[in-house]
Amino acid sequence: MAGLAKPLLGWLAFGVVMCLLPAFVSTGTVRILIFANFLAIFAMSWDVISGRTGYISFGHPFLIGIAAYTTAMLTYHLDTPLWLSIPAGVLATLVGGTLFFLPALRIRGTYFALVTLAFMELMYQLTQVIAPKITGGTRGLSGIPTLVSGAIPNYYLTFGLTFAIGLGLWFVLRTRVGAALAAIRMDEGAVAASGLSTIRLKLFAFMTSAAVAGIGGAFYVHYLGSIAPRGLFDISFLFTILVAALLGGSATIAGPILGAYFLTFLLEYLRPFLPGPERYVIYGTIALVVYVLEPRGLHAIFHAAFRAAAGWLLPSRASSGGASP
Amino acid sequence: MMNILIQGLALSGLYALVAVGFTMIFSVGRVLNLAHGVFLMLGGYAYYSAVQVFGVSKGLGILLAVLVGVAFGVLTCAILVRRLEHNPIAVEIATLILAVVMQALIVLVYTSAPKSMWPIVSGVFRYEGVFVSHNILAAMVVSWIALGGLLVFVRRTRLGRALRAVSMDRKGAVISGVDPHRMSLATWAISGALAALAGVFFATYTQLTPGMWVAPLIIAVAVVVVGGIGSIVGSLVVAHLIGFMETVTTTLVAAELRGVFTMVLIIVVLIIAPKGLFGREEL
Repeated sequence: MAGLAKPLLGWLAFGVVMCLLPAFVSTGTVRILIFANFLAIFAMSWDVISGRTGYISFGHPFLIGIAAYTTAMLTYHLDTPLWLSIPAGVLATLVGGTLFFLPALRIRGTYFALVTLAFMELMYQLTQVIAPKITGGTRGLSGIPTLVSGAIPNYYLTFGLTFAIGLGLWFVLRTRVGAALAAIRMDEGAVAASGLSTIRLKLFAFMTSAAVAGIGGAFYVHYLGSIAPRGLFDISFLFTILVAALLGGSATIAGPILGAYFLTFLLEYLRPFLPGPERYVIYGTIALVVYVLEPRGLHAIFHAAFRAAAGWLLPSRASSGGASP
Repeated sequence: MMNILIQGLALSGLYALVAVGFTMIFSVGRVLNLAHGVFLMLGGYAYYSAVQVFGVSKGLGILLAVLVGVAFGVLTCAILVRRLEHNPIAVEIATLILAVVMQALIVLVYTSAPKSMWPIVSGVFRYEGVFVSHNILAAMVVSWIALGGLLVFVRRTRLGRALRAVSMDRKGAVISGVDPHRMSLATWAISGALAALAGVFFATYTQLTPGMWVAPLIIAVAVVVVGGIGSIVGSLVVAHLIGFMETVTTTLVAAELRGVFTMVLIIVVLIIAPKGLFGREEL
């Protein structure tokens, strides 16, 4: 496995640096990092469907919200222990993922994105109207039990999740399955014509994405301790996920993680200058400019820069730049 | 009963105007403009600033709003869409990002507090115990005039025919000497104008908030998806379907559920009949 050593070393370095990080930064920064970890999980989940297969999901908050609401309602009303309610939430998301998958059997491209957007908006309205006693209606639920308390334990928990999900996805998607999913993005008909079941492949991608979204959503609600339809089933939330994945570089694992950390810190550093949602002006403009100029994202830009630097420093070895994770 | 009929008719007229620009852009350029709701929002805020802040007359305010819509449409097309034209999904993503950016920009300028708009035409219409504001009736009349004008424009004028030609067969149109880039600029300008006009009335019907672009976008999507993407007449029919269903839900079931029908309609139609209930006609 000659090609494996370098990326694994990259993963190792990433893990070590992130594990040591809390010792050097303030508690405030650690709290920001927790949000960055969650965003990284959501962005990786989005990327499994949208970055790989090209089925753009505009409804990812729908998947995340199903898990979050399921586990929140179970613990809030029935006092279900977390070890039971979180898997239940993930399971519910898988059911929701199947719902998501149905339109993907018949439509793709722009239409698919529209259906998923409609799913999210439908959920937004339904949680407020249907059984507000159970869902908490417009106000949502608060006082949901948290898993661990304190910034540092939460940081290690969320980083552990991010790292495990990232590594797991990387292992799965570097196989032939990953290649087949990428082929679906390029030419679905050709994949079917070469004897592969595109339905099964797409189902796999959707279920993987839903599972990751469910895990992220369930842990997210038990970190926040509260949940409400506004802010969750919201285009701004979708926008944050989508931009993290696209800005970092879709169809990679490092890209969404990179994008999530970049964006979370960008938002935090803008806070002193623009305290409210106005920060999205700068954030969105950067995203738009990068997306228009280099659709493959920061990952590709850094990669190109790294290669250029390597080529300038060591002209003879310029061509041997390995793939980072 | 009478109430539902009049309210529904008025609301549907407004919805048709909301959706028609969205349809045109898709029909001519084969791209979906998810910043369409932002065009409405900009129209609404431009009118608000002109009339309620600077005290300009209402007619001039509407004209200014339309000009803002045209300018924003042309800029979006020239700066953003032109670069991504070969990739409809990229346009969709980029216009969605643009919409969120514009929303944030509106918050920056006008704060996120909702602004209430004075009715453009004040007074209430009474008929056999039915109360309908003159404002929504005016919205209906304006939208009928605008849509009628659009249909005549598309069918009778040279520019309109060129637009239809591009929407029917892009290559054929190019061979006949039509410049598709210029046509798509014209489409975005018209779409911006119609949307801004709709936005002025939509804002007086609801409220002026930085998040107001989502609702009209969903309506436009529903109208276009169900009506068969790209068909003006289909869009008109579906605008009435949605307008009446919303009115019926609001009056007879519950006001909070009025958006649900629209969403369910989008999902069901796209899964069962992806080409829309009326098939695909050209403009």
